[in-house]
Amino acid sequence: MTTAEITPPPHRAEPVRLGPSQLAGILVLALAALVAARFFDNAVPVIASALVAALVPRRHGWTVRGPIAIMAGLLALFVARMWPGAAGAVAAANAGPPPEAGHLLSWLIGLPIAGAIAVLFLPRQAHSTLRWTTTLVMLATLAVSLPLLHVSMGRTYHFNEDMVWLPRFGIHYHVAIDGISLWLVMLTVFITPIAAWASFGPIEKRLKDWCFALLMLEGGMLGAFLALDLFVFYIFWELMLIPMYVMIGVWGGANRIKSAIKFFLYTMAGSVLMLGAILYVAYQYARANGGVMSFDYFELQRLLIPRHAQIWLWAAFTLAFIIKVPMFPFHTWLPDAHTEAPTAGSVILAAVMLKMGTYGYMRFSMGLFPEASQEFAANMAGVAVLGGIIYGALCAWKQDDVKRLIAYSSVAHLGYVMLGLFALTAASLEGAVLQMVNHGISTGMLFLLFGVIYDRRHTRHIDEFGGLAKPMPVYAALFVLATLASVGLPGTNGFIGEFMVITGTFASTMLGHFAGVQAVGAAIGVILGAIYMLMVVQKMFFGPITKKENKGLADVNGRELVALAPLAMMIFVIGLFPNIFLSQIKGAAERVQNDFEARVTNNPPPKFYEGPFKLSPRRPEAPKVAAAPATH
Amino acid sequence: MLSLFPSNDYVLIAVILGMPLLGAFVNGIWGKQLGKQAVRVMALTAVGVSFAASVCAFIALAQLADKGKGEHVKLVWNAWEWMHTTGGASSATVPIDVKFSIDALSGVMMLIVTGVGFLIHLYATSYMEKDKGFARFFAYMNLFIFSMLVLILGDNLPIVFVGWEGVGLCSYLLIGFWYEQMPNAAAGKKAFIANRVGDFGLICGMFLLVHYTGALDWNGIANGASGLVNPSLTERVHVWPLGGGQYTGLLHFLQPKNPITISAATAVGLALLLGCTGKSAQIPLYVWLPDAMAGPTPVSALIHAATMVTAGIYLICRMSFVFVLSPATMMIIACVGAATALFAATIAVVQNDIKKVLAYSTVSQLGFMFLGVGVGAFTSGFFHVFTHAFFKACLFLGAGSVIHAMHARIHDGDQSQDIRNMGGLRKWMPLTHWTFAAATAAIIGLPLTSGFFSKDEILYRAFVDHTVNPLAGQGSLSHSGVFEPPPWLGTALYLTAVVAALLTAFYMCRLYFLTFWGDFRGWTVGRPSLLAKQEMAQHLHGDDEHEHGGHEHHEDLATPGYPPHESPWQMTVPLIILATFSVLAGWLNPGFETIIKKQAMEHWLEPVFKAASDGAVLFGHGNSKEWAEGMTWPLAMGGFLAFAAGTLVAYWMYVVRGGAPAKNLAAAQPALYRLLLDKWRIDELYDATIVAAVDSLAETAAAFDKTFVDGIIARLTALVVAAAGTVLRAFQNGVVHVYAAMMVVGLAVTGWFFAVPHPNGTVADVGNDDYVVTAAPGVGYAYRWDANGDGTPDKQDFGGDTTIKLHLEPGKSQMVMLEVKNSFGLVRRKSFHLARPQEPTSSL
Repeated sequence: MTTAEITPPPHRAEPVRLGPSQLAGILVLALAALVAARFFDNAVPVIASALVAALVPRRHGWTVRGPIAIMAGLLALFVARMWPGAAGAVAAANAGPPPEAGHLLSWLIGLPIAGAIAVLFLPRQAHSTLRWTTTLVMLATLAVSLPLLHVSMGRTYHFNEDMVWLPRFGIHYHVAIDGISLWLVMLTVFITPIAAWASFGPIEKRLKDWCFALLMLEGGMLGAFLALDLFVFYIFWELMLIPMYVMIGVWGGANRIKSAIKFFLYTMAGSVLMLGAILYVAYQYARANGGVMSFDYFELQRLLIPRHAQIWLWAAFTLAFIIKVPMFPFHTWLPDAHTEAPTAGSVILAAVMLKMGTYGYMRFSMGLFPEASQEFAANMAGVAVLGGIIYGALCAWKQDDVKRLIAYSSVAHLGYVMLGLFALTAASLEGAVLQMVNHGISTGMLFLLFGVIYDRRHTRHIDEFGGLAKPMPVYAALFVLATLASVGLPGTNGFIGEFMVITGTFASTMLGHFAGVQAVGAAIGVILGAIYMLMVVQKMFFGPITKKENKGLADVNGRELVALAPLAMMIFVIGLFPNIFLSQIKGAAERVQNDFEARVTNNPPPKFYEGPFKLSPRRPEAPKVAAAPATH
Repeated sequence: MLSLFPSNDYVLIAVILGMPLLGAFVNGIWGKQLGKQAVRVMALTAVGVSFAASVCAFIALAQLADKGKGEHVKLVWNAWEWMHTTGGASSATVPIDVKFSIDALSGVMMLIVTGVGFLIHLYATSYMEKDKGFARFFAYMNLFIFSMLVLILGDNLPIVFVGWEGVGLCSYLLIGFWYEQMPNAAAGKKAFIANRVGDFGLICGMFLLVHYTGALDWNGIANGASGLVNPSLTERVHVWPLGGGQYTGLLHFLQPKNPITISAATAVGLALLLGCTGKSAQIPLYVWLPDAMAGPTPVSALIHAATMVTAGIYLICRMSFVFVLSPATMMIIACVGAATALFAATIAVVQNDIKKVLAYSTVSQLGFMFLGVGVGAFTSGFFHVFTHAFFKACLFLGAGSVIHAMHARIHDGDQSQDIRNMGGLRKWMPLTHWTFAAATAAIIGLPLTSGFFSKDEILYRAFVDHTVNPLAGQGSLSHSGVFEPPPWLGTALYLTAVVAALLTAFYMCRLYFLTFWGDFRGWTVGRPSLLAKQEMAQHLHGDDEHEHGGHEHHEDLATPGYPPHESPWQMTVPLIILATFSVLAGWLNPGFETIIKKQAMEHWLEPVFKAASDGAVLFGHGNSKEWAEGMTWPLAMGGFLAFAAGTLVAYWMYVVRGGAPAKNLAAAQPALYRLLLDKWRIDELYDATIVAAVDSLAETAAAFDKTFVDGIIARLTALVVAAAGTVLRAFQNGVVHVYAAMMVVGLAVTGWFFAVPHPNGTVADVGNDDYVVTAAPGVGYAYRWDANGDGTPDKQDFGGDTTIKLHLEPGKSQMVMLEVKNSFGLVRRKSFHLARPQEPTSSL
């Protein structure tokens, strides 16, 4: 755990021996596997992948091999069980709505927050306890989230939980999950422990506060992805802002204060406008509903908003979201925040928090203000292509700070997501959601990898490296893998999302006659992505070693390998078996598209809804909202 | 065989694909621990088993084809459902599966890849013996074989794309295999990026295809191909105005009279062509291939000569039924091919690096293949792929054998590959010499060798064939988009190709003579007995080599040394096999159909190209088939004369006159010579134009981001906020009487607001042509209405009527005036404009 672990064990390239004891061991294992196969489905692939994974780390002991083997086995199990048409999935589909454990989502949100509070009562000096508590709480959260995977999501929301909180204002604690938020929640509970685990080497200072911030952040992010009451959403939205601000400001690099403030102000500026818009929508809802207020997503969705009000409301929401994404020209906080943030902060920021913007746009801007979304879709898509995909890539190419470069690459990648959302075809929406997850995996991995070298060299300047493939071969291989995923090499996860977004964009009717141009523009991003990422790889890893500090660098150590392994595996899981993910997204994406089109085709622009604020009838599939107790 | 593996679930494909992947995985991860011997066994087993399985599959396919009687038979393995997208006219879900199939075309390619691949692996086990990265090398090589097989066997375009990028990746990794030298890494990057430009085309092709045909698998595309040539204007690809919009207002001058459109088939064809030019190193994207020779020689043989670079031709053959729908694309393919063939040949004439000559020769030969498929002679083009795989692999491996020998004394990479340092090697390396000679004979088209048959067929077809628009006969076209290539095109293509063939004969013979004939120029070769003594003496004086410190030490090449040595059997056996095939493979499809009836390859591939050749390929320009057959001999003479002239000139220049005429020529035309030596400076041209443009665009973007977006927008916002703060701070000065004064002002304003009435109202349509105007309530308000808007109120007195009801005919409008008086007696008025829209004139 401490410095002792950072120094790697000496490199021994022993040939593999196959003596009688090894053979006996293999036999016993094979027998065990057979026995297990008798009792459990899919035991063979699971055990096989675990075994192979256990053999992969050549220079590490069982403390590394064990966790990696377990992760590989679990991922194999995940693939086998989640396979569309697999025994488990079919059973879930046939048996009607599954027993959806009450309060599961509340547990999911509550566990990290409770963990954060619990951490406050631990002694400050007990580093090991703090670390283990944090890790275990996060793993427990991950475990709690697993039943979500059991459910075939389809078009509807699941695990609906609705409690009246402030009846006077119609504020409910309303959480539910659908195919879109499912993978973002899974991404969150998957990435956060990895980021935390990776941070437990470099972060020594104020560890207790760090653990608190991490857990709070996780709770906030989960809440924001799950909340379906706008008021509650806003609370979680702000709740996750603070820990990240603190993480950058306290554990960041030299320029951390400036970056943290910039991050905070940018995000806050959007958030405040969104708050205003939320209040206004709720107010108009109350007027149209005879004075009864509601902040519930499904209720507000019923509100027909005339154009003059809708474009402003849409703008306020959208501004908040595209600052978070970030889209041109509101992206400048991101490179600064990333460069100064500690590794784990960068990972979580890139992998999860940016998705809040894209998710928010999809759920709220498109859900509540479809007419305005449609009116601006073509223009916004232009911004996503030119200002995101192309401009972001060009800027990335010219950075000499590796973290800034990855940050700009995020701008480019999220340009694809936004483009997919604006295009609004079935393929582009699914691709966009998958691309959110993909970006989380590959960019998260890139930041994590960069953290490895940063801990050794304490510089972010690309010219300081060079020829690292020689002293750090495993590191180089993993970096190249993450790079390939990032540039969207087919077979890795990046390709699937990009491909679906691009093909979907071309077929889009939403973008008018620009669809073709925008699809081509997005495809150009594929070239640019290769240019800047390969530039980094070449400058960092190839060529002769120019700096003497780089000569004796240690390769990835056990802790880092354990953190990186699941991401590396996920790259292939998504790249090869995307249907596992898409089959869950499909229904929800279809629902978003249908709802949107139903609203928009009723009032085709420019003559879209002009009349007063009024309510449309409640849709049957919307989850039932808890009735407010009668107020006297 | 078929009973074990049914043709619609042919799991043997999993073995063919899986073995190389397994080899790559094992060697890549445990290679260091396993040791060289185990790595060698693993790598060879992986490719060998894959080859054996391929042969089984091929036999099964042949049996199936026999039964099928000219049907397009396939062995299919649908592994799993991969993803889906939307496409087609109805925006339906288009499933994309991980699905592989073997048909006649992919079967042949599969055999080439695994067979030639195995030989090159065997060769490499010896060639790379001393290398530190032995295991890594074979991991990459096996991964390459896997990717190439995915490319070939993929049953839909996205899966092909997986292989397509996979081979690109392996190429990148293997070109930069010796990554510690920066030029190698840079060459790898260049290859990857040039290929990525091509991939951009491929992606564009894919989204066009999925949109217009509603499928991405071969059968689906074939079924939906009619969507690509839909003649209606909306179904065509609008080039200008972009996407089919209208330019109005200021941009009106950009609006053309008639929109410029191309058929979807042309768009798809051009997009795919871009991808193919990238992978197959054609103009304009050929620049990466010569640089790719930085990789180890077996890599050049396998990837950059025999297999990967032919992927572009394979894809064109595979999608022939799409390409023939667009004669314009076909013509461009043919022209690109002919131009590249000639252009690369001119560069090869003056190069001195043995691998560079072969690299340009590869580019040139690929041009011939493009020419073949471009005129619609898919079989001929593909047959050249087949023969080229043998002779070019043989040439590269022979070159590797030579370099291996040269390395004994010359350690500098560039010097050891320079043909000016070679010469006379046939004395010491007889096997290498004879195999190299056989392969050279094939590539220059010595009659009855494989290259002769395949190249002659392409020349012949270039002259007599051309594609016609499948829609030309239909009179229903609403636009003038029927493209016909000009009638002189065939002649021009033929002549270009003949000149290229002549140059090919010349530079290959030049290479051959300079390398193997004449005297050895590398180092002084001593007599063996003297050498042994010398070595003894060196040993006695202590090994001073170590004092100089490692391999930087330069040997004095003037001191007599051992002659270059022949390579070990692992290297010569593949050479012999490949040389045999180079000479004999031509008989599989010898052309000259009037004389030789048995055209095995043509017959075998017929079902694959049936769809393409049925509708589209014709003997051109109103000429009959008899005319074309009559042209066989005259046209064949052209090819033969090119071979003969090129060879004789080279023989005269380099053997008879010992290279003097070449030197004189170079001295006579120094500018041209330098230009050719510098490869027409195309790299520099690209650097100065496209690369520089993108680079400066990126610089601009980065600068803009730093100064404008981050500097001005962010700072300006901050400044505005700060300024607002400064202004507001002035009010918060803590002086009580200022606060009191403000309070007074505030009270006055509020008081005034309450003192005046605020007329307000809403208009409601209550149906039956009636409208109700309701005035908003207020404390102490009284109302007076003017329903007809004539300026005089209806009633003189203010009353309590908050609503007024009006009847309005369709199309009429009316002003309604509301006056409000409050308790202070102040009156304010507001008017409402009521308008009833005209009823729709028709019920439609």
